[in-house]
Amino acid sequence: MTNKNLSESILQKRINRFKSIKRGYYSLIILISLYVLSICAPIIFNSKAIMVKYNDEYYFPLFNSIFSNKNIEAKDLGQFEIKGKKKYGQPHYRLLKKQYQKEDKGNWVIMPLYPYDPYEEVISEKDEQFTDVNGNGVWDPSENFIDENGNGIADKYKYTNFPNSQHLLGTDNQGRDVLSRLIYGFNISITFAIVCCFLSYIIGIIIGGTLGYFGGKVDLFGLRIIEIYGSIPFLFMLMILATFIKPNVYILASMYVFLTGWIGITWYVRGEFLREKSKDYVSAAVSMGQSHWNVMFRHILPNSLTPVITFAPFAIIGYISALVSLDYLGFGLQPPTPSWGELMAQGRTNLQYWHLIVSPLFSIGATLFLITFIGEAIREAFDPKVHSRLR
Amino acid sequence: MFQYIIRRLLLMIPTFLGITFMVFFILQVAPDGPFERAVAQLKSANATSESGVSMSSDLIGNSSELSPDILEDLRMQYGLDKPIIIRYLIWLGVFPKEYKRETAVIGKHFRETVDFVQINENSKKQLQKYILVESEVDKNNNISYNIIESGAGLKYSLPDVSRLQTDENFDFDKYIFFQNEYQELPSHELISTWYFSNWDLEKVNSDNTVTLVKKEFNGIFQGFLGYSEKKGKNVSTLIAERMHISIFFGFTSLILVYLICIPLGILKALKHGKRFDVLSSIIVFTGYSIPGYALGVLLLSYFGGDIFPLHGWRSPDFSELSLWGKIKDQIHHAFLPIVCYMVGSFATMTVLMKNSLMENLNQDYVRTAFAKGLSEKRVIFFHAVRNSLIPLATGIGSSIGIFLAGSYLIEKTFGIDGIGLLGFNALIDKDYSIMMGALAIQVVILLIGNLISDITYAIIDPRIRFK
Repeated sequence: MTNKNLSESILQKRINRFKSIKRGYYSLIILISLYVLSICAPIIFNSKAIMVKYNDEYYFPLFNSIFSNKNIEAKDLGQFEIKGKKKYGQPHYRLLKKQYQKEDKGNWVIMPLYPYDPYEEVISEKDEQFTDVNGNGVWDPSENFIDENGNGIADKYKYTNFPNSQHLLGTDNQGRDVLSRLIYGFNISITFAIVCCFLSYIIGIIIGGTLGYFGGKVDLFGLRIIEIYGSIPFLFMLMILATFIKPNVYILASMYVFLTGWIGITWYVRGEFLREKSKDYVSAAVSMGQSHWNVMFRHILPNSLTPVITFAPFAIIGYISALVSLDYLGFGLQPPTPSWGELMAQGRTNLQYWHLIVSPLFSIGATLFLITFIGEAIREAFDPKVHSRLR
Repeated sequence: MFQYIIRRLLLMIPTFLGITFMVFFILQVAPDGPFERAVAQLKSANATSESGVSMSSDLIGNSSELSPDILEDLRMQYGLDKPIIIRYLIWLGVFPKEYKRETAVIGKHFRETVDFVQINENSKKQLQKYILVESEVDKNNNISYNIIESGAGLKYSLPDVSRLQTDENFDFDKYIFFQNEYQELPSHELISTWYFSNWDLEKVNSDNTVTLVKKEFNGIFQGFLGYSEKKGKNVSTLIAERMHISIFFGFTSLILVYLICIPLGILKALKHGKRFDVLSSIIVFTGYSIPGYALGVLLLSYFGGDIFPLHGWRSPDFSELSLWGKIKDQIHHAFLPIVCYMVGSFATMTVLMKNSLMENLNQDYVRTAFAKGLSEKRVIFFHAVRNSLIPLATGIGSSIGIFLAGSYLIEKTFGIDGIGLLGFNALIDKDYSIMMGALAIQVVILLIGNLISDITYAIIDPRIRFK
């Protein structure tokens, strides 16, 4: 063992111990890379082209839509008609690509890796439902529309499709791509959980710290209030509020934390402060004339972080589950926000479409599974319990 | 111990009040409540009536707005003319609720109609009351008012009652003896005088009339949970109709969870780190990662329809089945929901049992027991397991509460019309009386569950003494 290892801090030791628990460590790596991927999702999973070259001019529709609201009109790119109808507004890039390839005038379109986005309208999907015999991306009168009855007329468009080569996980009941909805939904779920976690830790540390540090009557009284507050069925309250506030992910997270999310962590912090308070270093700090604030947050807090940190992954599991159940009941984020719970609800009403059930279920299960592993590993690393027994 | 229980019981009161008041407050201040819906409904009714059928003139204000009078009436009907705290007290039943108001001319009877009461299959009784206000001037020139109440029970046979409502040529006077003006009490053999009246004098008007109000204590403390206008039933009836469903699912899944988790946890602790532990951990973690209702949707899509029914609590023809058929039908319907109910607490219970046993095996007393030469079986099952059951046993009370209160997610998924779904549908319908009634019941169940937890804790663990 080298000197460097001897002098490593307790935090470093814990991190090393965490890394040595492979299950948790790899889960963390997978989860972080998935989250990074989902942050980059707009440039990987999108129906807008990354780059278009048309008549010696270069267009960047995807970045335009992200960084500025400047829209590119279909006619600017030479897409004048689709299915024999004049095309207005935004171009249909997937068809445009075919069109350029057919025309072969040196124009080209670079599509993102997966050219479907989670919000894409049913109409634009519908535009592709014809047999593109000559492969020019433009409907000619001789070409047939793809339909259920095979009579050559687009009489019935099917919204929900099983997984196929274009939509790897099929489409949902409005013809939107399930895979990209899952990825965007993952981003939203994790963001929700992180925001919740952050906010509830702030509230929990302040309230729990105050209760634990001052103890006595403050503690007794505060605990009563928290007990009452904690018994209120706030998921119901949240649903009532959600019907008229129509929250986005950050507002929903704040609402959730304010109504119910802060209670669990408050209990933890309070217990920890109560225990730490009686230790000698606290008395020393108090006798030196430190202010309450300093004692609480500069001395006790760093020493009571262990259970707080080990609690975090399990809190995150709770937050994600809460978001999914809210969305499942239809009281969470506003449509058309991509969400796992909403897909689940679609699956409940269309039981024959297994992909609408299995894919969100797998996403939820896998994500929570990973977080559980991380949580177990963090607990093991920060608070190791040696279980030895005779025989 | 006894003192402790009494203290806990007393603490339940402020907790109950706190919870119900918070929810009541939020429901009352939340926009788009029952009052707003009623207003919107009336407005749209007005709009349609103007385009086609004419309505009675006093219902229609100006073109699209309701007249202030109607709004005021509606506000009174929904109790919005009083401050929230008073409304809450009315709901609790410690403040009288005014539910009738009448302007009476002094010296004249007025009739108070009470609903039909079914006597037997084909006859109904209509209870009616006649209220007379008399003024009396004493020698100091002070006027006092007496309210005299008389009552009559009129007997109708059922065909007449239905004819009353349908037949236009029905001879009212033959069956109903009373005119619209009540100068005198109608002569009828059944009329008797009430000794007291529950009408209260509110104020004396200038035009020889008085305003009477009828108030009643009618709230939670009187056992009245509310009345649902939408369902046309008392909330207590609605809950009682569904209670057995929640009790069935709650207890069955609770017992099954304990029956499975305790042996599994013991086995996992004894085989800690071995293959069985790792493999069962995967199952346990999977169960922890998948929400019960989500698993329910998956199970339904695979087994629903042909193997298990898609929804419902029992078959529609349940009552016609034989005893064995009933049992089979019940299991058939309950199997999938119970699996989902169990998934929720399965993982936590198992891990709790495992950790608790492992902690105990680490203790000195186990070492001592081994040291004095007891067999491994006896040490583990007689000493360690018994002690490690303490945290599970104490959890049983709150588990009862949680299970009984019903999971609306699972009930919604499986279409089981239990208490959870009742509350959830009430939320969608904005039927706040059901919500508050169901909440009151659920809170009481949860509080009693917590109390049971604390008491079992004190009984099981002799180290704990409550002072």
